[in-house]
Order: sequence, then structure tokens, then C-alpha cells
Amino acid sequence: MKKVNTEPYIATYLHSKGRRLKLPIGGNFELTARCNFDCPMCYVHLKNDDIQAQGKELTARQWIDIARQAKDMGMVFVLLTGGEPFVRKDFFEIYDAMKEMGLMISINTNGSMLSGEILRKLIENPPFRINVSLYGGCTETYKNMCGQAAFDKVIENIRAVKEAGIDIRLNVSITPYNQQDIEKIYAISQELGLHAKASSYMYPSIRVNGGQYGHGDRLSPLEAARCSVRWDKQRFTEEEFMLRAENMKNLIAVDEPDCPADLDEGVGCRAGSSSFWMTWDGRMLPCGMMPGPAAYPLEDGFESAWKTIVEKTAEIRIPPQCTACPKRPVCPVCAAVCVTETGRFDGVPSYVCQQTEATIQETWKAYQERKTEDEN
Amino acid sequence: MKIKKQLIKRDIAGDTILVPVGKTVYDSNGLFVLNEVATFIWDNLPELDTQEEIVAKILEEYEVSQEEAAKDTAEFLGKLREMQIID
Repeated sequence: MKKVNTEPYIATYLHSKGRRLKLPIGGNFELTARCNFDCPMCYVHLKNDDIQAQGKELTARQWIDIARQAKDMGMVFVLLTGGEPFVRKDFFEIYDAMKEMGLMISINTNGSMLSGEILRKLIENPPFRINVSLYGGCTETYKNMCGQAAFDKVIENIRAVKEAGIDIRLNVSITPYNQQDIEKIYAISQELGLHAKASSYMYPSIRVNGGQYGHGDRLSPLEAARCSVRWDKQRFTEEEFMLRAENMKNLIAVDEPDCPADLDEGVGCRAGSSSFWMTWDGRMLPCGMMPGPAAYPLEDGFESAWKTIVEKTAEIRIPPQCTACPKRPVCPVCAAVCVTETGRFDGVPSYVCQQTEATIQETWKAYQERKTEDEN
Repeated sequence: MKIKKQLIKRDIAGDTILVPVGKTVYDSNGLFVLNEVATFIWDNLPELDTQEEIVAKILEEYEVSQEEAAKDTAEFLGKLREMQIID
């Protein structure tokens, strides 16, 4: 598989400096909980009634003000996400103001609105990168998973963005609703000439399901492992896959982690040490997957909120069973996984233990099948 | 010298970086980091017309040899030309 530079070297450098000095180098801004799709595994999207009940979306002016305070403390990289960020009619008021501050902006989107006036404005003043979530390989799957027959439109929009020269990547969430399309999705990414990153591990959606830790509309650990092996079979050459299987069997790290992280006893990634997450209703979190610790920059100012997040994040510990687990190098466990699976940062996330064990076994099974085929 | 591209200078914990804005994003792969002399040249670039003027300005500010200042200036201006930031 062709290696892809997921972030510029300077970003890695600035984040590592930020982690040492506790500077908010990266900010994730969840501009809205609204979305024109309705995916079952989403950890943010709420129905309109729930949005009204739970809080109030920040105004453009509030977002810009928070960004300015964060920039003054060192923020360089911004991810604009949602919900679907483009459903905000004032999206470009926020985006243009942030660009003018000298921020490097990436946007997470479902891709369905990347056309017309929105696309024209993006071409005029392009972001550093657009990440499109590709939910399926056909209209039927889009209908089942997102509640919208948007497949053709999304593909057409992706092509137009690429054609314009904007850096675009694909994110793929594998769930019970689209797992049948794994091979098709990979083929589409190849045909589009775009890097695609897939995950079959879905965090429990505790922020929207009333805090039911460990629950989510997702695959079983074994199904998730099988899906992840199917994706790996697509993206690796035979030789790469075999080497990967051998390494995995020996519990040697095989992937760059989703979030660059140390195998730490606490929060080993950038969350709460060089990056922060702002929820649509104005809470600051270390990471968007976590329900807390939370701080409130609108009430207390950005600097004070960031300090609180840094201090509280430093206190977080994952379970000693995970810290000392020999499978840790091939396991996606992190503080956010533990808390969403168990309700505690130091709770052992058994779903993830099972998925990791199954991924090792299923990868090894595929390895042996290929060996047998080769011998025959 | 005229800076043709839209770049915003930012100081981040002792590092000086240039962030591309507007359509400059299309021709740059991310950010540029400037060292101290490059930052000095960058800050003075709009008021200076020739390489010689830049070298003279560096010699006013830093205790370096003429050769060293000329070499650093040529290298940095070369990079800026390569990226079509100046003519």
C-alpha cells in the first residue's frame, strides 16, 4: 500500500512542542449538532427537538471570538466539523474570519453539500484539507445508513472538489448498515484516486444516547474484526498483508494510530495537552468522544478553560490492566474508549479487548488460508 | 521586493511560521518555518529592492561576515523564487 503523509511534518513538530508547553495548537470546532443525514452511529447529531432541549448553538460571532482567543494562545490547526458544518447558513462568516487569522483549516463533511455556491467559495479561498465521510458504495446503502439517497451526488461533489485541486481524503465508518459495501467502497476510493481511512470500531454514542455507556448501533466485536480484515485485504498487497499478519501475531504495532499517541498510562494523545474540542453548545472537552472533563470558555474565557482542561486531562488514568496488556501495541484502547465503553476512564473496555483479540485471530486465519492456497 | 503570495506570519512559541491564505493554499504543501535570519529578511523584504540591500541590512543587525550574509540571503531568496513568492 502506498504510504500517505497524513499530516505535514511541521504539524507533528508544532504539536509535540505544544504538548511539552501545553499550548492549544489544534482546535476542533463542532459547529452544529444539525445534519441533513441521520446515521445511527453518530455521536453528535441530534434531532431538532433535542437540540432545543439540550442547549443552544453558538453564534458565528462566538465561534470567531473563541478562535481568536485560541489563536492568541498558539492555535494553528482547526478542524471544522459537526453535525454537518455546511448546514450552517453562516458557515462562511466563521470560515473566512478564521482563514484571515492565519489558521490552517480542515473540514469534516458528508460531502452532500459540496456544490454550487459552497464549492465556489471554497475554491476561491480553499481549506488545507476536506475530509469526506463516504458511507457506502451505492444509493441503497446511503438510504439505509444515512436516510438520504445521496450517493451519486456525493461522488459527483468529491470529483468536483478534487478537480478544483483541493486536498481531499475519505473517512469510512463501517457499521451493520454498510459492511456489505466494504470492497465496493475501497474500489471507489481507488477509482477516485483518494486516500481512504476506515474504521470498524464505533465509539458508543454516549453524548446522544443518554449516557448508555458501552451501547451503540454497531457491529459485534467479532463482526467488526472481520470487517477490518476485509478492508485490510483490499488495501494491502499480498506481501504486505502477510507481513502484517506475522507482526500482529507477535503483538508488534502494525498501524499508525488514528490519533498520534504514546502508549501512556494517561491520555497519550494530543487531547488536552496540545488540542481541544469545542462542542456545538460551547463546552470545551479534551476530545469530542469524551463526555468530560468539560470547561466553559464562553463564561470563563478561553485561557482559563484551556488551563482547566489541561489540568483535568493530566489526572486521567486508563486501567492498569490495559497499560500492562501485551496486546496494547495492536489495540486501539485510549482514555476515550475506556470512558465511552464503561463510564470510567479506568474501566476495562471488554468490547475492545474482544475486537482486538478477534482481529489478531481473523488476520492470522486469513494468513494461513493464503499460505495454504500458495502451497497448493 | 514585492511579496506576490498571501502568507500570514505567525509566532508560535519561539517559531516563526508562514501560513498560506487565499489561493496560496493551492501551491504550498502546508506551512513554512522561518529561522531567525529568514524572519529578519522576510520582515524587511517589502522595503528592500535588491539582494545587496538585504545583505547590507543583515550586516547592520547581525555580527556575521559579508560572505555568510550573502549566502543566507541567496539561499532564502532562491527558495522564495522557487515557490513563486517573489519574482
